[in-house]
Amino acid sequence: MNFSPAVTQTVMRSVHCPEPGMRAVDLADIVSIKINELFPEMHQGYLQNEGIDFIRKATEAALSGVDMHKIRPDHTVNLLCSEHGFYLLGGLHYREMLVTIRNVVEQKTGCKNIRLRLAAGMGSREADEIIDHFNLKKYFNGRVRGISAFDKGIPIDTEIGTLFGLAAAYNADWIIHAGHDEPRDLYFYRMIDRLLKAFAMSYARFETRSVYHGNFGNRSGAFLQRAIFDAPMVHEKFAFGCFLRMTPAGITGVDASADLHNLGKKITIDLLKDYGKMLRLFAEVEECIVVLDGGRYGYYIHAGGIVFGCFENAQYDAFDLSQPAAIAYYDMLGKMAQGEQEEMDHIMVVNPAVKGVVFNQAWPGIPMAGLTLDVPTFVVGSKQVEMIKMDAANPSFMDLSEGVETLEAAMTMAKEEAGTDKVLIFDGSFGHINLSASLAEELIKKAPAVSSNVEKKLLPMWLKQRGIVGE
Amino acid sequence: MRVVNYMAKIDETVCNGCKRCETVCPPAAIKVVDQVARVDEEKCLACTKCWHLCPEHAVTMIPRPDELYVGVDFDEVDPAAIDSLCKKAHFFPEQFVCACTLTLAKEMAAAIILGAKSPEEVTAMTGARSGCAIYCMGPILRMLKAHGVVIQEPANHRWYDLSLSLWDVSDEVAIKYPGYFLKEDKKGFNGGSL
Repeated sequence: MNFSPAVTQTVMRSVHCPEPGMRAVDLADIVSIKINELFPEMHQGYLQNEGIDFIRKATEAALSGVDMHKIRPDHTVNLLCSEHGFYLLGGLHYREMLVTIRNVVEQKTGCKNIRLRLAAGMGSREADEIIDHFNLKKYFNGRVRGISAFDKGIPIDTEIGTLFGLAAAYNADWIIHAGHDEPRDLYFYRMIDRLLKAFAMSYARFETRSVYHGNFGNRSGAFLQRAIFDAPMVHEKFAFGCFLRMTPAGITGVDASADLHNLGKKITIDLLKDYGKMLRLFAEVEECIVVLDGGRYGYYIHAGGIVFGCFENAQYDAFDLSQPAAIAYYDMLGKMAQGEQEEMDHIMVVNPAVKGVVFNQAWPGIPMAGLTLDVPTFVVGSKQVEMIKMDAANPSFMDLSEGVETLEAAMTMAKEEAGTDKVLIFDGSFGHINLSASLAEELIKKAPAVSSNVEKKLLPMWLKQRGIVGE
Repeated sequence: MRVVNYMAKIDETVCNGCKRCETVCPPAAIKVVDQVARVDEEKCLACTKCWHLCPEHAVTMIPRPDELYVGVDFDEVDPAAIDSLCKKAHFFPEQFVCACTLTLAKEMAAAIILGAKSPEEVTAMTGARSGCAIYCMGPILRMLKAHGVVIQEPANHRWYDLSLSLWDVSDEVAIKYPGYFLKEDKKGFNGGSL
């Protein structure tokens, strides 16, 4: 088979991880396949540096149907966004949507006091980097501020008790949520209320995020996002949400509504179908070496629109709600509940297809050390090794991982240890996947059967489980 | 057992005494004195929260002269007491409660039985919550309360008293919202088929 050359992604420079000496797409045997070569029925979207004008027009069109009459000229409005959107396909689409939202709200309501609040997982350094890189102070006339999960909180009285949001997110007469529908860490929320999850958790205090992950199950945690969104305080302030629409093949449009329950149902149908195919195809991969090569936490770097965290857990069907667990941690809790004496010496039992992981560029900061317990891991470059050694979220990572000076040397070692030449690169890609020719052939061969299985069997089941159709 | 190889260092010429670092430090290793942040080197677990959140970028992380070891030997605590506390708090003793430090529930229970009375003291004794500092806060508060510790919320939004869990959700709510599997997950954790 003949394949297209690998496609390079632009990655924002960051203090959170050093620049690699060589990108994985520049390795000798790496090619690219388009998502449409795998699934011709999937709508081709816009990719990096494409379609910015389209986003502006699509945002204006989406907002034309949103009632804003309650926002008065003397009101304050917080336009809420999060860091994730700025890492999707270079982030310019997200910025364009944000600027257009502000412009449309100003035009329709006369309200000029619209402040951008940028939530960043790492904290103010991360937010400041994004604000500078995307020139947000200029675009928002200085009315921009980063917010973090450690900032002052505000109680949110919900149907199940008091939870805590961030005061700086909610301290306005009205709030507008600007998000996207890319599924990201769906192994935690199981595609239950996709739109509410990002809204509720992006602007939540860390205690709220903690009980979501630590005090509920793998499905029931999703109720917290519902409880927050339906809380009277939130309900009274919520003006509307506006979302970049995405498929694994790129950015396809913009949707907006004040009713996130109904918009969420509509979007969920598309997400289950499009991302369901990519996820099930990835689940069919028999063996490969993963290369993480992007400016983001390792779990959140994309290949063909799917984050590595989803591939790492691809042995589970996260969409199938009849399964209590979509991640090994909850699976183990389930076994313990049934009296099995599980030794939790693995926090992550990795998808058996992952035979090795090469860290060419990935941020530290969230726990990934469990990976080193299951598969050979290689970290490229002495600077990145030092950064991971300093990472308190992964204190034992380098005890079991090998530091290697160059990417090429790391690949040689990984292939030898893993016993496979198949390579899958997570580098932030949508619209295509950068990978080895051997793996490209495997995916192309398997895609038609996956597509058929999702359309005929899995999608109806996933939808029915969510009460969207069939009940 | 958590091994700490780094610690925070404050550039006193840059620090403006805003107390941001003091507020976010999980083991309470930083105090602002005379408008300057001071790090207690014996307590700093190098979580880097101060580095990430200092508005003046006054913090650097430096290697420790000697490694610091943090952990509780749960074998020195009555296993029946540990099991009882874990059960009361709805934890399995062998489960991880901190995904960063891989601290087990039984170690956290041991620390509390040995006298930890606040999240800061649990962190200082076990190392839990010295990584991302986010995800294990709820479980820590849950375990402290199960032991009967009266939680006193700090005044400066250092943390809020939030330990809400699946077991606090009423049957009425669980039945009202069947799409969230509240009833099924609770039953599963209690020994059903999770």
